[in-house]
Amino acid sequence: MKVSKLLFIFIIAGIVSSIAVVNFYFIQKEFTQKQREFLININNLENSFIDITNLILKNSIYVYINQDNIAIANKKLKQNYKKLQNSKVLLDSSYVDVKDNVNYLQKCMKENLQNIDIFLRINAGVKNSLLFLSRHIDNGKILEDYSQKELLKARIILKHFNDAKKLQDLVYLSKNDYLLKSDSKDKAVQQYISTFNLHTTFLMKNYPPFIEVTKKILENQATHQRIHIIKKRFSQISLHDVKALDEFATILFILFFLSFVTIIVLLLKYQRENKKLQDTYISLEHSHTYDQLTELYNRRKFELDIEDVTKFKNPSLMIMNINDFRYINDIYGNDIGNILLKEISKFIKDKIKVSYESSIYRIDGDEFGIVFDEISENRILKISNDLENSIVKHTFIINNIKIELRVNIAINNVKPLLENADLALKQIKKSNKSNICVFNESQHLKQNVEENMKTVQIIKEAILDDRIVPFFQPIVNLQTSKIEKYEALVRLKLDNGEILPPFRFLEIAQKSSQYHEITKIMIEKTILTAISHPQYRFSVNMSMQDILDKKITDMLFDLLEKYKNTNAKIDIELLESEHLDNMNVVKKFINKLHTYGSFILIDDFGTGYSNFSYFSELDIDIVKIDGSIVKEIVTSKRKFHMLKSIKEFANGMDMKTVSEFVESREIALKLKSIGSTYAQGYYFSEPLEQPLDDANITI
Amino acid sequence: MLKSIILITIFIILNAKEPISPIPLKIDYDKEKALLGKSLFFDPILSKDKSTSCLSCHNVFNGGADARDVSLGFAQRKGNIQSPTVLNARYNFVQFWNGRAENLKEQADGPLNNPAEHNMNKKSIEQRINNSLLYKKEFKKVFGVNYIKYDLILEAIVEFEKALTTPNSKFDRYLKGEDKLTKDEQKGYKIFKHYGCITCHNGINIGGNSFQKMGIFVEYSTDKKYPDRSDVTHDISDKNVFKVPSLRNIQQTAPYFHDASAKNLQSAIQAMTKHNLGIIISDDDINSLVKFLESLTGEQPKILDEI
Repeated sequence: MKVSKLLFIFIIAGIVSSIAVVNFYFIQKEFTQKQREFLININNLENSFIDITNLILKNSIYVYINQDNIAIANKKLKQNYKKLQNSKVLLDSSYVDVKDNVNYLQKCMKENLQNIDIFLRINAGVKNSLLFLSRHIDNGKILEDYSQKELLKARIILKHFNDAKKLQDLVYLSKNDYLLKSDSKDKAVQQYISTFNLHTTFLMKNYPPFIEVTKKILENQATHQRIHIIKKRFSQISLHDVKALDEFATILFILFFLSFVTIIVLLLKYQRENKKLQDTYISLEHSHTYDQLTELYNRRKFELDIEDVTKFKNPSLMIMNINDFRYINDIYGNDIGNILLKEISKFIKDKIKVSYESSIYRIDGDEFGIVFDEISENRILKISNDLENSIVKHTFIINNIKIELRVNIAINNVKPLLENADLALKQIKKSNKSNICVFNESQHLKQNVEENMKTVQIIKEAILDDRIVPFFQPIVNLQTSKIEKYEALVRLKLDNGEILPPFRFLEIAQKSSQYHEITKIMIEKTILTAISHPQYRFSVNMSMQDILDKKITDMLFDLLEKYKNTNAKIDIELLESEHLDNMNVVKKFINKLHTYGSFILIDDFGTGYSNFSYFSELDIDIVKIDGSIVKEIVTSKRKFHMLKSIKEFANGMDMKTVSEFVESREIALKLKSIGSTYAQGYYFSEPLEQPLDDANITI
Repeated sequence: MLKSIILITIFIILNAKEPISPIPLKIDYDKEKALLGKSLFFDPILSKDKSTSCLSCHNVFNGGADARDVSLGFAQRKGNIQSPTVLNARYNFVQFWNGRAENLKEQADGPLNNPAEHNMNKKSIEQRINNSLLYKKEFKKVFGVNYIKYDLILEAIVEFEKALTTPNSKFDRYLKGEDKLTKDEQKGYKIFKHYGCITCHNGINIGGNSFQKMGIFVEYSTDKKYPDRSDVTHDISDKNVFKVPSLRNIQQTAPYFHDASAKNLQSAIQAMTKHNLGIIISDDDINSLVKFLESLTGEQPKILDEI
């Protein structure tokens, strides 16, 4: 279960147990209150009994006493009993035994009150009689005169009554000996004696109940016993209750404590998980924004930033592409390539960031983007120049490997920024003029781009399906009317069987890694064809650039080496271009080529970059005269003269000539008439899938 | 030595504190309620034929009791016992001669429902009072109620009765050291104590705090049946047992005893000393006692002057 869910459950449990604790507190409080109330009530009742006992004791000693107190005490006793009876705790069924005892106590109380009534009634008479008798004896002149003996007896009787009262013992009273007797005829004596006897008779009659009731009140055993029982039973039951409450409290506390601890633990865990989640989120956010390898902003961030008007008001984009970076990966491996990319990133950062306010992005594998805001074209151009210069001059050293780089930089501030900059970059590659280019609207060939993309895909598939094939156009010896050579021309067979000429795909292939593959296929397939047609020579086209590309030349020589001992005769047709910086490389190439028995042909001579200076430096075997001259030798004297001059020149240099674009019999015949050796063109044959077995032709 | 100390101590106790205490001048009661109770007490509307009020049998202006042997209530019916005084009734430990009411409220309920007295009941009283615009207004003012319940009527009457105390009797002032008794009065008080009257007649009400049998020494017999304590307890030994009556304002509350058998104080003293003290008292002593008893007459309750 999820921590948050668990946490929620435990918080609920915590709340419930808190409520339970609060509830318990109130239950416990009420319980204690009830217990206290009962104990107070029973103690008050007991005290009321004791108060009354004290008052009764006082009353029996003192002669004159204010009995209001007793009436008040009685009332209080009744009130206290009622309070006890109404004690809340007695409503509880577990206290039914106590309740029964309390009800029984009512009987005791009523009895006690009754006894008090009786006591008060008898006590008044007894007190008054004893007082009267002592006063009577004090005034006993009449009796004394009559009989000393009787007076003495009267005194003894009174003493006995006093003793009996003081000691609360009837032993002092004699049943027969409490009356005075006389046979006196004196009325006063008679009255004296009869009054005396009236009181002693009263006392004799009332002493037993008086002593009994006094004892009953003072001892009040039944009541005290009952109170004792009530207290005992009550404490037994309440102790049981208290114990139960204690246990409940302990359990509740433990529960409360446990859920409290659990909540804290879960909270901590929850927090930790939350933090983890947050960290993940941050790193995810980071990877969304930053390129993992170079720690520059990534393409996604670039796209977001470009759209963000608050970030860039008027952005200018500079994109930098590393030339032939793919070869670095191929040659040194991806690890080195990655380290190099990091180094380059650092290099750019150091160069740009220090001096200019800008954001740097890694837009693609070897493509970096730098966005400036509100910058003039001159300034960004200068920055670009500085950057390009410093990179070209810099030697990156990675694992002791020295790497020098060339870069192209495109600059653009026209939306869409990246697409337009890319177009400008392409323009650089196409034109080969400068390494830095500022985008302008004329380069806007977006549609072309899309088509190119399609073509790249087509080439890729064609390579995979082995649909890159050489077509062979015969080169005819005009003098012998025999085919001697074939020029291998690259063709792309679509999967529907349509054949694409090179201008439809080769230029695009040159810009991709596929060009190398296509060249290789062409050379190898041509060699294989040459092996099966030993009667002919075969030539393959290569550009000056290709020759400068060590990879391509290595590949060529590897193949030549491989098929060295076959009877294949392979020549190279060299396409001129203005970039012939390194004449030595070309020289070496030609020399090496010659060691394999291969000839070198100069293609398209007489147009474009044709330069006679080559011939002084390079050991060229055959010159191919450009079609633009050949086509018009019949109609244009000038062209005819040019052709003758080239032929003369070639002959002088010990070179043969091939006339291209021979499209009619007239041209062929004219060429033959001036003694030209080789010709090529649609008049003889279009390029063929396979060379012809029969070398003979008719002109 | 020890004996003499005990004796002196007892002497001091006996003299320092008389068994009779004076009525306080200041008493607690709600004056508004008491005045409303006063109107009710005086109003014959509370009897069925509108002839009898509480005042009819409890003349608060003179002793608070009835001068007739028995009172006449509804339709001139006779009561069954001599009307006890309502003055200082709040100090009695129980009410009625036989103590069948624990308090004044229970007491007030009695006569109102008695067919021989007011001959009313709870319902009829509520009806009567609630029909009176005056009482409606008064009860609204005092109790804040719109309907007057029987309980509130009793409460008001009780409040009035609580105010019916008679302080500042000569004897009270003597107890407080504010006045001196005459020789006769002093002698009377001495006899009152010596002969033992005080064993029953003590406390603030000089009585009214215990039950006693009429005729402890010499049986007191009458041919008529009176509601005595045995009516309450159903105990045969409680025959002829009554609440000891208060002696305050005794001069004004003749005739005396439950049966009104003593028409004056002299004969009452004579009867009591014979039956309850077992002595024959001289005329001289009787006169002194009468003088003492006369000093127990207090001032009229202040509430009677209030409107």
